[in-house]
Amino acid sequence: MPTKQAPTRQAITLKGSTNLVTEFFKYAVNSVLFQRGVYPSDDFHMVKKYGQTVLVTQDLALENYLEKILNQVNKWLLTGSVTQLVLAVISKDTRTTLERWAFDIKLVNQEDSGAESTAPKPEAEIQAEIRNILKQIVTTVTFLPVIDEPTVFNILAYTSQSAEVPADEWVDTDPLAIEASKSQQVKLRSFSTDVHRIEAMVAYRYEG
Amino acid sequence: MTAKTPARRRARSVTRNTLTPSFINNMNSMQIASPARISSRTASTAVNDSPNPFISQSKSRNTSPVKRTVSGGIEVTHELKRQASSGVIRKGGIESRMNVVKNDYIPPPSAPETKVPRRSKSTASLRAEAQLEGDRFIPTRDIDSLAASLDRLAIQPMSSSPGHTARLAEATGINLHGRILSYHEAPPVPTDKTLQKQREAVAPLYARPGELPSSTGTVTNKSRKIPTQPERVLDAPGIVDDFYLNLISWSSQNVLAVALAENTYVWRADTGEVSHVGEAPQGSYVSSVDFSNDGAFLGVGIGTGDVELWDIESSTRLRTMTGHQAQVATLSWNGHILSSGCGDGSIWHHDVRMPRHKVMELNGHSGEVCGLKWRADGELLASGANDNVVNIWDGRVGDVAEGSRGHAKWTKRNHTAAVKALAWCPWQPSLLATGGGTNDATIHIWNSTTGARLHSLKTPSQVTSIQWCPHKKELLSTHGYPTNSLMIHAYPSLERVAEIRDAHDSRVLFSTLGPAGDVVCTGAGDENLKFWRVWELEKQKKKRAPKENNRLTSSRTGLMTIR
Repeated sequence: MPTKQAPTRQAITLKGSTNLVTEFFKYAVNSVLFQRGVYPSDDFHMVKKYGQTVLVTQDLALENYLEKILNQVNKWLLTGSVTQLVLAVISKDTRTTLERWAFDIKLVNQEDSGAESTAPKPEAEIQAEIRNILKQIVTTVTFLPVIDEPTVFNILAYTSQSAEVPADEWVDTDPLAIEASKSQQVKLRSFSTDVHRIEAMVAYRYEG
Repeated sequence: MTAKTPARRRARSVTRNTLTPSFINNMNSMQIASPARISSRTASTAVNDSPNPFISQSKSRNTSPVKRTVSGGIEVTHELKRQASSGVIRKGGIESRMNVVKNDYIPPPSAPETKVPRRSKSTASLRAEAQLEGDRFIPTRDIDSLAASLDRLAIQPMSSSPGHTARLAEATGINLHGRILSYHEAPPVPTDKTLQKQREAVAPLYARPGELPSSTGTVTNKSRKIPTQPERVLDAPGIVDDFYLNLISWSSQNVLAVALAENTYVWRADTGEVSHVGEAPQGSYVSSVDFSNDGAFLGVGIGTGDVELWDIESSTRLRTMTGHQAQVATLSWNGHILSSGCGDGSIWHHDVRMPRHKVMELNGHSGEVCGLKWRADGELLASGANDNVVNIWDGRVGDVAEGSRGHAKWTKRNHTAAVKALAWCPWQPSLLATGGGTNDATIHIWNSTTGARLHSLKTPSQVTSIQWCPHKKELLSTHGYPTNSLMIHAYPSLERVAEIRDAHDSRVLFSTLGPAGDVVCTGAGDENLKFWRVWELEKQKKKRAPKENNRLTSSRTGLMTIR
């Protein structure tokens, strides 16, 4: 594992961590899309990942779409200019946001934590944390309101002002927020690598 | 590819352009700390000077969702404000109407960006965290107004001390940095239609929508529980299995009359007792029964063409009205007028008080009249016959001169089979529902005022009768082979609310609605009468009759005291 090579650790860890986080997003987004029924369930097939089976879409159009987004997210992660990714589940007919899956991305400050003293976090531990988040996404089905209307999704990236934005590909957008009075929020687990810390949260429309 | 979006700069320059005019505005609307006010006043003289190095930092700050005041010669719409603040300017938007300062001061890329130091999140509550992390779009109201005033400060950075806005932003937990971006394409639509159809084709039977949702073939709406089993079954031995006859009637006194071959019986729903009313002449049979509106008299049509009038209480025949040459397959009362539909296609109005009972003849059918219904107010009479025609007649009898004839107000020839099922809507008097026989199997709904056909519904099998629900916007239809079903349709969508398949073992021929409008009685060739509580009454109405647990409670309260 590159994380064990001490001299070049800093550079490799950032890149490795970025890839790890990007990969996590791919599976997290796929899980949400499957669990919340945004796409028909038979569009998904099972893949062994993180020591468990994860459902991943095999719809080519969707695959390419996610690929494009995640590529850009990867670039932003490398420069540390993305602070949050949000997967919004939107009603197809009324265009109201039904759920917001927010993933906060934070840079773990290496200097503060006493750079050399801490041992690199073992891969297995990170994977276990990721597994826990993905499992939690599955279990949220038990308390999230049943969606019985066709939905679409949208992915929002919260970036810093200085982020390099490919012109014409990414556009400033509405936050697709849910009104505070009508939303409930549940914090999910988090995971961290040596560089990044990801915290997940789901907010959903609930007019009880 | 990775050039900065130019729109953002433009938005910034827009902001700058409007600094001076909006200044007074901002002064007035400022409502935060007093130091800000002081500093803005002191800085006001320097508004038009070249910016100091700090300004670039505070200017690079993006805006909060609250709209700023942009003034000038342009009417500032909500949309424009939004565009300006979000950094996205739509085509034909503000840029086309404003003199944009192109050469704005752009901070050198190397300039270190002052980040608003973030608060530690570990102990913060979820809500605070959401605000801190830029998820400020779920704010409380006061935060919102605070952000509004904060935003006005941001519009003229020179007015406040350099770090002030940053400190303010930090204190209020509003992240002024950052943009929200989304990919320019919408995500792909789930699947194309053809694939969807293929999926349906390979789906197992039980998974197909609307096919056979349960093993009994019963569909009920999820929103309301509709019993799929009859509440009560009565034996009706010898009931004639003939589509054209109308052999059951339920009176407003909660008495059900049923004709079994030549005999007529009444079953009192309140007590459950059965009594024999009378018998048709030797060698004939009863072809139709109908209760008068007050429930005291029963009109009985005989296969020979006679129309008899019976008193229910004493089970005596009051009179026999002769004249028809063929069987009287259907009867309908309107006050003292008893209308009879005959096998020869004629409809007669009998005034039961008059010695010469026949007061009017309606000739509009060439086939046997098998459906006849007065509207509740007696204005209109609908008739359906074996010639596939539906006629709507003016109900005014007027002068009772001998041999007067009526003319149909509307004649409808849309059905392609005999029309037996007719029903006037109780809550919208102009609506008439008609249903055709085997070859037609269609329900049409008419506006009797305009004559327009409002809705049509194709059903799987012959429509034998229709009942409207008096307290819900629904109608019930009964059907023959092969489904032998009861169907409840919503009006006006005509969506299927419920379907009870194989309600009887043979085709469901007759139906009548209880006086309370909650229970429907159906009769069929399988010699059963079944009672279905399909339209449950409201809760408060139900409370009144719990004592009659074992009986049908389909009685209108108050009616029992009339006699």
